[in-house]
Amino acid sequence: MSTPTQVYEPFRAGLPPLRRYWKSLWSRRTFIAEYSRSELREQHFDSAFGQLWLVLNPLLLSAVYFLLIVIIRGSSDSTRYAHLTATLFLFYLVANSLTGGVKSITAGQRLILNTAFPRIMLPISAVVIAIFKFLPTLAVFLVIRTVLGLPFSWQMFWSIPVLLITMLLALGLAVTISCINVYFRDIASFLPYMTRTLLYLSPILYEASDLKPQLRTLELFNPLFPILDSWSRALVHGQAPLASHMLIGLGWAVGIFLIGTYFFLSREREFAVRL
Amino acid sequence: MSVRGLGLTYTTAIDRRPTLKARVKSLGRGGKQTRVIRALDEVNLDVEYGQVLGIIGTNGAGKSSLMRVIAGILPPTQGRVEVYGSVSTLLALGVGFNPSMSGRDNVYLGGLAAGMSRDEIDSHFEEIAEFSELGEAIDAPMRTYSSGMYARLAFSVAATVRPDILIVDEALSTGDAKFKEKSLNRIKELRSDDRALILVSHAMATLEDVCNDVAWLHKGKLVQRGDPKTVITAYREFLQVGKSAAIDEDV
Repeated sequence: MSTPTQVYEPFRAGLPPLRRYWKSLWSRRTFIAEYSRSELREQHFDSAFGQLWLVLNPLLLSAVYFLLIVIIRGSSDSTRYAHLTATLFLFYLVANSLTGGVKSITAGQRLILNTAFPRIMLPISAVVIAIFKFLPTLAVFLVIRTVLGLPFSWQMFWSIPVLLITMLLALGLAVTISCINVYFRDIASFLPYMTRTLLYLSPILYEASDLKPQLRTLELFNPLFPILDSWSRALVHGQAPLASHMLIGLGWAVGIFLIGTYFFLSREREFAVRL
Repeated sequence: MSVRGLGLTYTTAIDRRPTLKARVKSLGRGGKQTRVIRALDEVNLDVEYGQVLGIIGTNGAGKSSLMRVIAGILPPTQGRVEVYGSVSTLLALGVGFNPSMSGRDNVYLGGLAAGMSRDEIDSHFEEIAEFSELGEAIDAPMRTYSSGMYARLAFSVAATVRPDILIVDEALSTGDAKFKEKSLNRIKELRSDDRALILVSHAMATLEDVCNDVAWLHKGKLVQRGDPKTVITAYREFLQVGKSAAIDEDV
């Protein structure tokens, strides 16, 4: 062993050696799983229903928003309810990644100050938690869909690539916002308003085709717009999503992921000083 | 096989919590509200395998900062650290523990946080449980533990990691006298020719007993390094406390 296994030198902006970073991240995948599991358990630890809240939460949520639609529009049909639940649940996958991710670094202070590990693990586990929360809602949706009597079709499998794109987007957003929060703590307080705005800008309470032509430009600035529309087309209507929407969604997801990860990786060695 | 900390300075900018308000205020006044603290100043330190190095110094001397730089947690602002082998840190006890989970779950959580694999923990689990002397309490949630029980489990997990270089930062002062004795013995067991140990402590008697080398840090500078007796005597004279009970008591 004549060469050092680790060399620490003054911090320069720029990426750490990526291969070694990936290796050490991969070797800690069991920790990510275990850490997420314990965080998830802790969230509903003291409540009477316990883990049942994972299913109750989305059900109550969709009931409240359905009430809103019925009151505003006067009436509603089963397709609209299916659309609402499907898109709302997917939206909450992203929103939960953001709310979990924003404080992942600042809350992991003890861990960061006392152990050396790839810091990106913390926002990753925030996304893993959001995915754990999302999976039961997907099952709930499939039950709702069956109860409503919507026909099943092979085109529904388009939802798989849409889901993968959404996960990548959620990861990119979580990584970005956790990094921003280290330098600018106020972002955590802004976040509820940001997600709420995003909710109304996305085709959830309405369908993408209902949008007035004047408001069409909105969809250009919302990465979730094409994704949620594709999701609804595939899962609710049993149609193939628009190719353009799939590509735009993928573009957003890859773009945000790459930019966010770059910033995170080039900054993360400084986090310990900033906390 | 050595840890080499060649001339290493680490300056930190202590900002108040970075918020928009503080930003806007400081914009008006021009310039950032930061203080620069020289935590470490040109420290040179080599540690060979087989060495047990004790680090002493007053509060704020830069001991913990030095440990964190060696462990790769804080980036140095100057100089270079070369580490040959795997480093494990015991800077604080119970890192990664989740109080609402059972002791059993936390053994896995803490072990994984320390870089062990699940299989390794599996094979050492009995040993950890036995060493911690928790008995059946291991399956109770950790928030029901007394602080001594908490610390005992944390130390037991940490002492199971078998790295090439182990850094222990005042983590020994846990539990009652009996457990202290036991953990000290464990540290002694860990001494071997193919491992380097770095201990940060205020317990002079223990360091004299365990270490074969002591370094004295003061205000970020390395004051003296060498034979434990000589350095500790010099440090005691500097503190002008003599061989009082207070510094020998706690481990």
